[in-house]
Amino acid sequence: MTHVRVNGLAKSYRAGDDIVPALIDVDLEVREGEFVSVVGPSGCGKSTLLYILGGFLHTDGGVAEVGGRVITGPGIDRGIVFQEYALFPWLTVVQNICYGLEMTGIREPERSQRAAAFIRMIGLQGFEHRFPRELSGGMKQRVAIARTLAYDPSILLLDEPFGALDSQTRETMQDELLRIWLETRKTVIMITHDVNEAVYLSQRVYVMSRRPGRIVEEFPVALDRSLSREDVMLSSEFNALRNRVWLSVRRQAAPAN
Amino acid sequence: MAITASQPMGLRRWRSSRDAIWQFLPVLLLAALWQAVSMSGLIDPDFLPGLDRILAALWEMARDGELAFNLFVTIYRSFAGLAIGTVLGVLIGLAMATSRAADGFFGPLVATTYSLPKSTLVPLFILWFGVGDITPIVTVVLACLLPVIVGTYHGIKAVPPILIWSAQAMGTPRRLILWRIKLPAALMPILTGIRIALGFSFVLTISSEMIATRVGIGKLIFMDGENGAYAYMFAGLLAVVLIAYLSDRGMVRLMRYLLRWQDSAELTADA
Repeated sequence: MTHVRVNGLAKSYRAGDDIVPALIDVDLEVREGEFVSVVGPSGCGKSTLLYILGGFLHTDGGVAEVGGRVITGPGIDRGIVFQEYALFPWLTVVQNICYGLEMTGIREPERSQRAAAFIRMIGLQGFEHRFPRELSGGMKQRVAIARTLAYDPSILLLDEPFGALDSQTRETMQDELLRIWLETRKTVIMITHDVNEAVYLSQRVYVMSRRPGRIVEEFPVALDRSLSREDVMLSSEFNALRNRVWLSVRRQAAPAN
Repeated sequence: MAITASQPMGLRRWRSSRDAIWQFLPVLLLAALWQAVSMSGLIDPDFLPGLDRILAALWEMARDGELAFNLFVTIYRSFAGLAIGTVLGVLIGLAMATSRAADGFFGPLVATTYSLPKSTLVPLFILWFGVGDITPIVTVVLACLLPVIVGTYHGIKAVPPILIWSAQAMGTPRRLILWRIKLPAALMPILTGIRIALGFSFVLTISSEMIATRVGIGKLIFMDGENGAYAYMFAGLLAVVLIAYLSDRGMVRLMRYLLRWQDSAELTADA
């Protein structure tokens, strides 16, 4: 069943007196429980696409729907995780996780129980009462993911969620995300510029053009999720597909002569 | 997984007592210089009394209750003005940051009154409000308004949109965005504005007390000066400096506590 549908979407920005198109005629469809990535060269408008799905930006044309209803603003059916974490720095880890629970109407004692369960899930026991500034980048992003999962949105919108992390932490976090997705089967739309990450995590990868962005290619991914990271990443299927996606993105990144 | 390397307590205490000595060294040097000039007779000791005479005068004023009463009046006026100015300043700053109409209305007022010395209004306020508590309090309110408005306005304007988006995505209704997100995010510049206002509040209370009241430490300083009782005048000044310094330290402590979540570098730089 289609969960997210985008059709003929257009968005432009005003820069002084000029109007700069960011997205032109974007089409995509994501089924319920599907993990989809959007990759593209930097500045192609892929984050803009995600912010429209989040309801933070309005479209200039076309439609963006969730569950058959046109998006008119932010909603708790769509949880978002930003590259810069966007934790509330004045709240502790547990308060950050409880915030969304409070806003979505989860009462005590269930609120604290759920927060504790998610802190266990991300392995931050003992850090409940730390402020974000006392955490490493990887820990902050784990809190950001946990606070979004905690209030149980049906869609996860991820905006380059691991872009600010070192490569070891990034791999660990990718595996955690994959495990969480396999457990919860939420619909996930992830924006990334990391082709490996997109192919490793997703069931489908969309490639976007240079600005103004539109979808230029779509790659279905059929990898065996029961295999270990090493087995997947060293397999010829993974590498063949990764190369095709990489070439597709590269064609977009290099200006045509 | 190391998070914060906390120093051993002993070392930290040693550091802070060493810092304290450095902090007070200039004050001690100034006191020594004062005493030397007074004793040398370079300036007539009647006009520049030695510290021994100033402290003796302070002790006398403290003993007969004169100091405590006048200080109390002055502190009451300063804090009343500061409190009213802070509340109004935050409200006006918020209005300006969130409404174009309010910005258009208050913006020019703030810009034109910013550099006006508020003490010049005291004679006018005496005509309107007479001699008493109201004139110094109104003067202090006006002086406190501006730094608080400016701090609040810029603080609210600078809240990262991504924090507001996060809050909206988690279902925060519009009316709660201000209280739950914008105000805490802007706390640092707001408190900094209040700290500047705190300094203004003493200055303005004292200077308006000199001409617009019958009691208060400013009046006392003024009268002792007029009567040539310079040791008493300086004793009153010393008491004010001490109170102003202590309340600023108190404010810094409060800020440290309220902003303990903020990157500590920004805080120590400010204090």
